[in-house]
Amino acid sequence: MADGSNALIDVRNVSRHYVRNVDEVHALDDVSLEVPAACFVALMGPSGSGKSTLLNLISGIDRPSEGEVIVAGQPLSTLDEDELATWRARHVGLIFQFFNLIPVLSARENVALPLLLTDLDKAERRRRAETALRVVGLEERFDHFPRTLSGGEQQRVAIARAIVTDPDLIVADEPTGDLDARNAEAILDLLRALKNEFGKTIVMVTHDSRALRYVDEAHHLDKGVLLTGEEAERAAAALLAAAGAHPMPPARSDGSS
Amino acid sequence: MRLPFSYSWRNVRARPLRSALTASVIALVVLACTLLLGLITSMRRTFTSTGHPLNLVVLRKGSDNDGSSMLPVESYQAIRFLDGIARNGDDQPLVSPEVVVQPFFRTREGGRENVLVRGVEPVALEVHDQVRVTEGRMFRPSSGEAIVGRGVTGRYQGAELGGAIEFGRGKWKVVGLFDAEGTSFESEVWVDVRELANDAKRPLPFSGFRVRTANVAERERIERRIDDDPRWALDAEPEIDYYAELASTGTTLYVIVVAVAVLAGIGASFGAANTMYAAVQTRTAEIGTLRALGFPRGAILWAFQAEAVVLALIGFAIGAVASVAAAWILSNALGGFAVGAATFTTSVVVLEVDARSLAAALFLAIAIGIAAGLGPAWRAARLRPIEALRKA
Ligand SMILES: Nc1ncnc2c1ncn2[C@@H]1O[C@H](COP(=O)(O)OP(=O)(O)O)[C@@H](O)[C@H]1O
Ligand SMILES: [Mg+2]
Repeated sequence: MADGSNALIDVRNVSRHYVRNVDEVHALDDVSLEVPAACFVALMGPSGSGKSTLLNLISGIDRPSEGEVIVAGQPLSTLDEDELATWRARHVGLIFQFFNLIPVLSARENVALPLLLTDLDKAERRRRAETALRVVGLEERFDHFPRTLSGGEQQRVAIARAIVTDPDLIVADEPTGDLDARNAEAILDLLRALKNEFGKTIVMVTHDSRALRYVDEAHHLDKGVLLTGEEAERAAAALLAAAGAHPMPPARSDGSS
Repeated sequence: MRLPFSYSWRNVRARPLRSALTASVIALVVLACTLLLGLITSMRRTFTSTGHPLNLVVLRKGSDNDGSSMLPVESYQAIRFLDGIARNGDDQPLVSPEVVVQPFFRTREGGRENVLVRGVEPVALEVHDQVRVTEGRMFRPSSGEAIVGRGVTGRYQGAELGGAIEFGRGKWKVVGLFDAEGTSFESEVWVDVRELANDAKRPLPFSGFRVRTANVAERERIERRIDDDPRWALDAEPEIDYYAELASTGTTLYVIVVAVAVLAGIGASFGAANTMYAAVQTRTAEIGTLRALGFPRGAILWAFQAEAVVLALIGFAIGAVASVAAAWILSNALGGFAVGAATFTTSVVVLEVDARSLAAALFLAIAIGIAAGLGPAWRAARLRPIEALRKA
């Protein structure tokens, strides 16, 4: 890596404050985190703990108040608004809790959307969109519109859209939050397969303890602070207890894999 | 880096009711605009084409239309023998003595309208050579007969071949129908000049002459000759100028129509802007998604601006079809459009929505679309992705 670290994602002493009316909300407070390439990471914590905020900083949708985010050697602070948009289009796949498909576009058109920002011609965009839809198991839904698809299918279309540009990094904000248990597990399975088979680095925000069985690492946030050591273990244990004791991978904060 | 046009188009279709309502308002503006412009154009064409380039209108000095002018017979005799006047096959000078009255006619529906009745001699058909008797025959002098123009036919009680029309002190038998190439003569009734003067109890038989000159140079010469002769106190004017003055009524109307179109257009564009603001509101999360995926502000701006213009173009299409249909119905089924001309008689204008009126309406519709889209498209483009995404 350009800066000597072997992590794909390097979050350094990042804070994010929002000003709401006159109050300053500390959504994130001095968070540092490294995520190695080809690693599936969960960001966990109670509602309002800053998970989405951290994810948005990693994906370059938002900028930190302090600190630096470096992804694949690229310090995001050096990019202006348009450069950042272009960078996102090329390097990051986005997955949302509510799928965020465009209702007036078919599955294939939704998946091909990010390719409009490339130089590929129409036939190639179409071909790649279909390939991505096959990867997520939707080869029979090319022409379906979002409203005719189940929640699980819609999230698969969204995943196809996230991988169609072949990005290094996939970020997912509660991708199973709006799905039933069966569909949630299928999505988690799919994400894990993307990591295993295509070497994608995946950062997933979730407070679903089932996710712990699929990820390589889990990080815990509370009130904008990344928990470490004993606190992290206690948070993990609490989740495990709630989930009914599934084996859980250790949280790695050393950044090596 | 643009979103495909289909994205804008499908979003318009995705809310059919709202889009239809918004487009309908624009369609109404387009309809009004094209019909009024078409009417003005038709009116102008009717009046301007009525004049013949070699004809002179001779009236008494100080009167600006046929109705208020009276001329003695002697002046007729004097003018007939001026040099430079065109002659027919029988070597008769083409000078048409005429008298004009404007009685009320009863319309079929029972209304009352002023109609221009022109007393003429047979030579009138040669001076006004657009006029052609198409059915029946020319009237015979002093026999209470009349011929009626195409615009008059069927519009008033008795105004049909074999019918009888009532005005003045008698009944006039309709023995012929005439056509005049769409000119305002088609809105007239023609009878024998002396008979009409008698009927109207006019002390002097003629209200004016129409003179066909041999060429433009002669027309100018004769015009000056008549104007300058102190014996007659007459005023000659090229016929085309005479009708152009009548047509200029249309110019005032034109200004009014443009003002109304602009005001209505502003109203319609506020309506369309409202629809587009609502679209931005309901699609905030979608806009956030597109921005997060990497679409630049410009792409969002274009997509929403295109949506507003699409709405306006749908409105234009509906309005244009409606106006062509309305013009057809008004002209064909109802037999023309009655307009009060400067002479206070009713002229029947065949309304036609021409390409220029449609082009003006298209321009107006696009302007409405752009104006309506500007604000909402800017709002959409300026949304910050993180905040927009939180609206999911
Ligand atoms: N755009 C914003 N403006 C103001 N406050 C915000 C904004 N985004 C997030 N916050 C606040 O920051 C904190 C963390 O939010 P978030 O990262 O969304 O939490 P999580 O995803 O863990 O539920 C919350 O208190 C939230 O209200
Ligand atoms: Mg969140």
